[in-house]
Amino acid sequence: MNVPLSIAPVFRGRALATIGMCWLVVVGIAAIGAPLLAPFDPLEFDPLVRLSDPGWPHLFGTDHFGRDSLSRAIYGARMAIVIGSGSVLIALVAGGLVGMLSAYFVRLGHLLMRIVDVLMAFPALLLALVLMTLLERSVLNTVIVIGIVYATTTARIVFGMTLKLKRDVFVDAAICSGAGHASVLFRHILPNLVSPMLVQASFIFAFAQLQAAALDFLGLGLPPEVPSWGNMLSEERIYVTRAPWLLIFPGALIILSVFSMNLVGDALRDNIDPRFKDDIAGV
Amino acid sequence: MLIYALNRVLTLVPTLLAASFLVFMFIHLIPGDPASILLGDTATPEEVAQLSRELGLDEPLWTQYVLWLGNVLQGDLGTSVFFREPVLSVIADGAETSILLATMTMFWIVLFGVPIGIVSAMRHGSWVDQATSGGAMLFASVPTFWLGLYLILIFSVGLGWFPSSGFPSIADEGGASNLRYLVLPSLTLAAPNAALIIRLIRASMLDVSREDHVRTARAKGLHPVRVAIKHIFRNALIAVSAAFGFTFAALVSEAVVTETVFSLPGIGRLVVQSILRRDYPVIQGVILVIVVFYTAINLLVDLAYASLDPRVSLK
Amino acid sequence: MALLDIRNLELGIARGSELLPVVQGVSLAVEEDETLGIVGESGCGKSLTALAIMGLLEGTAVRIAGGTIHFQGRDLLALSPEERRRVMGAEMAMIFQEPMTSLNPVYRVGDQIREAILQHRSMSGRQAHQRALDLLELVRIPDPMRRIDSFPHQMSGGQRQRVMIAMALACDPKLLIADEPTTALDVTVQRDVLELIRSLQARTRMSVILISHDLGVVSETCDNVAVMYRGRIVEQAPTSTLFSNMSHPYTLGLLGSIPALDHDVEWLDAIPGRVPTLDEAVPGCAFHPRCFAAQGACRTVDPGAAAVSPAHFVRCHFPQGSSS
Repeated sequence: MNVPLSIAPVFRGRALATIGMCWLVVVGIAAIGAPLLAPFDPLEFDPLVRLSDPGWPHLFGTDHFGRDSLSRAIYGARMAIVIGSGSVLIALVAGGLVGMLSAYFVRLGHLLMRIVDVLMAFPALLLALVLMTLLERSVLNTVIVIGIVYATTTARIVFGMTLKLKRDVFVDAAICSGAGHASVLFRHILPNLVSPMLVQASFIFAFAQLQAAALDFLGLGLPPEVPSWGNMLSEERIYVTRAPWLLIFPGALIILSVFSMNLVGDALRDNIDPRFKDDIAGV
Repeated sequence: MLIYALNRVLTLVPTLLAASFLVFMFIHLIPGDPASILLGDTATPEEVAQLSRELGLDEPLWTQYVLWLGNVLQGDLGTSVFFREPVLSVIADGAETSILLATMTMFWIVLFGVPIGIVSAMRHGSWVDQATSGGAMLFASVPTFWLGLYLILIFSVGLGWFPSSGFPSIADEGGASNLRYLVLPSLTLAAPNAALIIRLIRASMLDVSREDHVRTARAKGLHPVRVAIKHIFRNALIAVSAAFGFTFAALVSEAVVTETVFSLPGIGRLVVQSILRRDYPVIQGVILVIVVFYTAINLLVDLAYASLDPRVSLK
Repeated sequence: MALLDIRNLELGIARGSELLPVVQGVSLAVEEDETLGIVGESGCGKSLTALAIMGLLEGTAVRIAGGTIHFQGRDLLALSPEERRRVMGAEMAMIFQEPMTSLNPVYRVGDQIREAILQHRSMSGRQAHQRALDLLELVRIPDPMRRIDSFPHQMSGGQRQRVMIAMALACDPKLLIADEPTTALDVTVQRDVLELIRSLQARTRMSVILISHDLGVVSETCDNVAVMYRGRIVEQAPTSTLFSNMSHPYTLGLLGSIPALDHDVEWLDAIPGRVPTLDEAVPGCAFHPRCFAAQGACRTVDPGAAAVSPAHFVRCHFPQGSSS
């Protein structure tokens, strides 16, 4: 039984992945300490300083309502973490359960995996769009929708990995020694899936940022007043010629965070059980 | 081969039926009476009552589904609330743009993705490889609309090389030179997908290069480039071709964002606008068409896969 | 002058910045029309030596750290990659242990043989096709007209190995290196393939290096034998001399354990213990921990190669007397 990845060997000799990890820590700190770190109220309008250049006191400039971009960007880190971790949680719990149960109980699997097949007949972004039309724009709904989209791929991946594990000797041994289904699933199979699912989680976290930004851009994601990087881009895009910095800062934040998460996922992937390497759908 | 193909088609039927049922249910999941939803706000009570009868709204759900499916199979996807036109012809209007955009995007993906992926694998571990696979991952991390906006800013507003928005139909006016309208959108859409293809080609080629038959090829005295292309890339292509297919199939829906940025009259923008206009018959129709298209392309991918790998055709 | 003349070949595995020695001071010579057998357990360096001769170490972690390999009077290690490729597959060819995976699964066997021919010979496609048919017939593939269009997965392991041999013979090589050519095959097929190699050699007068872990196979086939242990040649002699007067305790042990296994053996039952890993430093004679005749000097002093008789060398402090 393998222990979840330890950190040190993952980042040894990988300068870029280490920098990426550091950046993610910065984002995490910004998210937690947003009220303390943000110099202004991210929602406060100030008509006197509309579209002002980056400088003092507005380091990232202001948007067309005169809101401080830096403060909105810092609060945006919160949304990035919420969206990322929320989608990961839903995708892994729902997808993981469906995948594991389907591989373990063959007949149930026939049914559940057919449902997954049907959902996967919808391209990811389209599925998200359709679900968002049925739901109201809110943070929770965005998280749920993105989570469901990635739950389908996760279910298929976990299904494949559990099938491989089921063939292993130690699972047979556990069954022979009279272990119950729950015990075999959660004490013998699940611990072996933790590391590959962690890798999968990092890629979902990254993709979720891009999906959320796309939904924001289309006006179907977070409510417009919520300070997220995607909303900042979406709202200010018509001012791109007058105030290009309004798009550069949030854009760079998204790219940096997604890139960092992908780098970390890539580094993690090189350290998992080689049998599962090809199962993970990453960059 | 033919039996294999038929088999694959048959296994898709239940999936497609279930998917179509979900699409059918879409209208029923929206709060409100389906007939009024389908007719929009301006409909008279008489019209609503008539459509209710046509759709069999008094009947059980599965009867309604069978009625609806029957209409769909005859090409009747309903009438657009906004355009007052059959949904199928509204979708057909966007098809030219979407298909040309997807094709041009695939062209860029192959043009950039394949050679860069091969070089990256051949030089693996070198700075060339690190730069290309790092760069590819960076491109895969860029939101497409952001990239599109900056391409417009640089190449349309700044340099004036390409138009920034719209796409006049080639059939109607202007001819093939209208393709210049699609250059920036297709590059935008190609960037993250080419990045994924580069990384996939690299990884698959590295896997193949560790196989025994590659050593046999080298033992013949073949040039390394020949070994890389004829023996490594050709075998890696089996896995990569599947990715090409999936990418193409997904492009039509991924184009939603790009078509919105560049105001292209394609199916993707039609989805978004219909959602904002609450034109539910069109939304339902587009989803159905995209799902069928997506499934069909994936089927073709499977068949192409079988024809590329001599080991599969025996099964 | 010998066709192939290897002097003091040193190979090492790159691990970090250091080079871990895997083959040390190997010297071998193969005359024209002669068969040399290299015998040893898996990991003794016999396959790496073969890959070094062939020029296939590129892309692996193994580096040539010293020594020379002369082939037809030319120093192979001094050739440019392009000149080297002109030798590979033309004057020197190799067949491998794993016939199941050594052919490219996506091409027909005929195409793969043709590729080997056309790489070094200028002839038309039709001529190459005819040559491929002749080769398939030469290696006794039944119904070559039909088999030439088969894919590898449609053939048995024995047939695939025959195709590999046909491919190796495509350009009439002067030297054929066969690395455990029969190990992965069924026992009944093993005999046929060995017999085929022997008859082809008699016919084409090429030289052969046969690598095996099976002293029995080597004794039937080879003119000379080199026994390797942990990267060194521990005994080397003409086959008849070796079998009439085995001197190294390891060689005796190999004879005592004629392995009838389908796969490369990890250790030999007749010799106690296992081969020490590369990381483990063994002072003195590398074989002493497993040797029944080990004495004081064996544990501290590395024995050099000494001649028992003019063509018979052994690396042992206490060579065993003639056995009868």
